[in-house]
Amino acid sequence: MFQATGSTARLAPGVDRECGRTPARQRLVGAFGLLLACAAAGVGAVHAQEEFPSGPIDIVTHASPGGGTDTTARTILTGAREALGTDVAVIPRTGGGGIVAMSYAAGRPRDGHTVLAITPTHLFAIARGQGPLTIEDLVPVARATDDPLVVTVRSDSAVGDIEDLVALGLERPIKWGSTQVGSIDHVAGAVFAQIAGTELSVVPFAGGGEIVTNLMGGSIDAAGLNLTEALQQIERGEFRALAVMAEERIEALPDTPTTVELGYDVTFSTVRGYVVLRGTAEHEIEILESGLLAGMNHPSYLAYLDGAGLSRSAIAGREVWGAQLEQLYGDARQAMIDLGIIRP
Amino acid sequence: MGLPGLEFAAAVFTDPTVIGLIVVGTLVGVIVGALPGLSSSMAVALLLPFSLYLDPIPSIAFLAALYCAGTFGGSITAILINAPGAPPAAATAFDGYPMAQKGEAGRALGTATVASVTGGMISVLVLLFAAPLLARVAYSFGPPEYFALAVLGLSMLATISGEARLKNLIGGCLGLLIATVGIDLTTGVDRFTFGVPELLDGIHFIPVLIGLFAVTELLTQAQHLGRKRSVVTLAALKLPSLADIRSVMGTILRSSGIGTFIGILPAEGSTVAAMIGYNEAKRWSPRPETFGSGAIAGVAGPEAANNAATGGAMVPTLALGIPGSATAAVILGGLQVQGLRPGPFLFEEQPALLYGIFFAMLFANALFLVIGLIGAKVFSRLSLVPPALLWPSVLVLCFVGAYGLEQSMVDVWVMIAAGVLGLGLKRYGFAAAPIVMGLVLGGLVETSLAQSMIIFDQQWAGFLGRPIALVFFVLALGGIAGAPALGILRRMLSGADSKNVS
Repeated sequence: MFQATGSTARLAPGVDRECGRTPARQRLVGAFGLLLACAAAGVGAVHAQEEFPSGPIDIVTHASPGGGTDTTARTILTGAREALGTDVAVIPRTGGGGIVAMSYAAGRPRDGHTVLAITPTHLFAIARGQGPLTIEDLVPVARATDDPLVVTVRSDSAVGDIEDLVALGLERPIKWGSTQVGSIDHVAGAVFAQIAGTELSVVPFAGGGEIVTNLMGGSIDAAGLNLTEALQQIERGEFRALAVMAEERIEALPDTPTTVELGYDVTFSTVRGYVVLRGTAEHEIEILESGLLAGMNHPSYLAYLDGAGLSRSAIAGREVWGAQLEQLYGDARQAMIDLGIIRP
Repeated sequence: MGLPGLEFAAAVFTDPTVIGLIVVGTLVGVIVGALPGLSSSMAVALLLPFSLYLDPIPSIAFLAALYCAGTFGGSITAILINAPGAPPAAATAFDGYPMAQKGEAGRALGTATVASVTGGMISVLVLLFAAPLLARVAYSFGPPEYFALAVLGLSMLATISGEARLKNLIGGCLGLLIATVGIDLTTGVDRFTFGVPELLDGIHFIPVLIGLFAVTELLTQAQHLGRKRSVVTLAALKLPSLADIRSVMGTILRSSGIGTFIGILPAEGSTVAAMIGYNEAKRWSPRPETFGSGAIAGVAGPEAANNAATGGAMVPTLALGIPGSATAAVILGGLQVQGLRPGPFLFEEQPALLYGIFFAMLFANALFLVIGLIGAKVFSRLSLVPPALLWPSVLVLCFVGAYGLEQSMVDVWVMIAAGVLGLGLKRYGFAAAPIVMGLVLGGLVETSLAQSMIIFDQQWAGFLGRPIALVFFVLALGGIAGAPALGILRRMLSGADSKNVS
C-alpha cells in the first residue's frame, strides 16, 4: 500500500510507550514500524515531495472527549492508521459551535494532512455566516454516521403521539430540551413548532445526557434526542418515541413513524462526516477517502456502530456524502430563513 | 465476605495481563494527573484506540485505573508547587501548599493519599452494592436542584479563607465574572470574547489555576530571593502519624459521602465535589480559623471528595449509560467501541465485565495507596530544592501545561494574566480560594438559574415546589446566618449575665 516514511517515528512518545506496553502484537507492530522508519529515513527523503501522506494526519473535531464526534473519530483512527501507513491524530478544537475548529483548519496548509470533522452544527454556523469558511470550501471525503433525531417523551406522559404533542403546544408552550442555542436539536424543535403552529419554550442543556436525565425527571416535556442517546431508554420502556425526524423508518425503531409520513416535512439527523478544504489535490483526497473508509470498515468501528445502535449503512464515500452535504446545507439555510435568523 | 460478584474478582486477579495493565494504568494516571495541562480525560481519550486491541475487561479496567489514579495525581503538584495538576486538585492547594511551606510536605502528601484511597474505595463499594438503585438519584436532579447546590457552595464564599470577609466576597465576584466569559448556554450570546474565537468556549480552568497559584507564587518567591530562607529540614519527608489520620477520619468519611453523591450527578464532577468537600470540612472543623494556613483537614476534605466522585461518576455511566463526568464519558465511549451498551441491561448480561471494572478500580485504589505513601517520601524532597532552582523549572512546567491543554497561545496569555493579577491581589490581601470557588461554581449557578426560570415559566415561586432544592437553600441560609445569629444570641445571654452581675 502506501509507503511508511519517516513519519512513523513522529508518533507521540507517550503514545508509543503505551502501545509498547500493551499486547505483544502491538509491540511487534511498533518495533517493526520503527525499523521501517529508520530504513526509510534515507530513501524516503528523496520521495517525500510526491509521497502522500508525508506526515501525520490530523482530524480536527469540535467536540470534547467522550462525545459522539470524538468517539467516532477515535474509533476510526485504528483502521485508518493501518491503511494510510502514517499516524492519524484527533485534534479537538472545542467551542463556538464548530467555529474554533473551522478557524483552526482554515489556518492549516491545504495539503491533505488536515481533515475536518463536519456535523450539522458546523453547517448551521456557516449558514449564519459565522467562521472563516463557506460551504464551497468544504470538499467531501467520507461519511461515518447518520444518527437521526427522535422526538421523545417520557413513557408515562399524557402525550401519546405527535398529535397530542401538537395539541399540548396549542395549549401552552412545549418545554423542549435541547443542546446549545442554534444546535441541531434546537433548530429541529423550532422548525417543527413552526410547521405545526405551536409554541415552543426551549430549555438548553450542556449535553444529550443532561436532556435525558431531565426528560426522565420531568423538568421538560419533550426533546429531539439522537437515536444513540435515547435508544436505551426507549427499549427499556422509559421513553416513548413519537416520531423519527427522517423520511424513511429506521432499523432500530421499525414501529415508530417518521415525521414525513405523519405530514410534517421536517428531517434532522446528526450526520458526521469528514472533509478537506478546497485546494487539496485530487489524488490526496482519493487516498484519504480510501484510508478513512478502511478505518470505518475496520471491525472496531463496526462494533462501535452496532453497540451504539447505529446503522452500518451510514458508511459512505465522497459521492454519497457530497450530495448529502449539499442537501444538509440547503436544509440548514432554509431552516435559518424560516426561523428569521438569516435573510434569503 | 458478602461482597457481590466476588467470583468474578478471580478473573481480574489471576490474569497477569489485567494486573499488569492496572499497574501501568495507575502509574500513567498518577503522572498524567500530576502534570498540569494533562488531564485524565485527555489521557483516557488518547489511549482509547489502543485499548481496542484488548478484550473488554482488561481494556476498561485499564482506563478505569487510569481514571482513579489521575484524580489522585493532581494533588501531588498542588501540594508541592502550588500548581494543581488538574482542576479537582485546586482545593487541595488551599491548605496543602501552606503545609509544604511549613515543612510538612510528606504529612500533606500522606494525608492526601490516605484520603484519596478511602474516598475512592468507599465510592467503589457504593458502586458495587447500589449502582442501579442510586443511579435513579440522577433523575431527581434538575436545574433547580443544581442551582440550590451551587448556592450552598457559594454560601461559604465569605469565610472560605482566613482573609477579610469583604475581600473574599470581592474575590468570589471576580471569579464569577471570569466564569461569564464565552457563549452563554441559555441565550447563545457571546460575552467578553472580544472577537477571540478561543474564548467562545469560556476561559479554561487550568491556565487560570496555574497562573493564580503557581505563577503568583513564583513572582512572590522572586521578591524574596535576596533574603535568607527559612530552612526546611528533612522533617518535611515525614509521613502523617496515625493520630493525624485519626483526627481527619471524620472529615474523610464525610467528604467520601459528599463526593460519591456529587459524582453520581451527571452534570457535576470532581471539581465541584472537592470544593464542597473543602467547605464542609471547614464548616464542621472545631478550628475553622486554621484553614488556609495549612490545616490537615483542609487537605483530607477535598481529596477524599474528588476521588469519591470518580466512583460516583461511574454509577450513572454504567447503570444508565449517562456519563457522570468528562472522563467517564470517554470510558463510556470505550464500552461502546467494545460493542457493549451500558445501562441496566449491562448488569444482567455482563456481570463479569462490570465486576471486573469494580475490582479493577478497587485494586487501582489499593495500588496508589502504596505508590502514594512511598512516593510521598520521594516527592516531598522537592520541597528541599532551593527556590532559585525550583521555581524557574516550575515556570517552564506552567507554560507547557497551559499550552499543552489545547495547543493554544491564548491559554498561555490567560495564565500569565492570571499570575500577574494574582500577585496584585495577594499584595492587597485577597486570597485565591474565593476566586477559584467563584470560577468553578459560576457557570453552574448562572446556567442552572436561567434553565430553572425557563422551566418555571419565569416564576420564582417554582422553587417552592422542589423539596431537594429547598433543603439546600435552608442549609445555605444556616451557613450564612448561623454564626452571626449564634453571636447575637450569645451577646444577648452574656448581656443578661452582666446585668445580673451588676
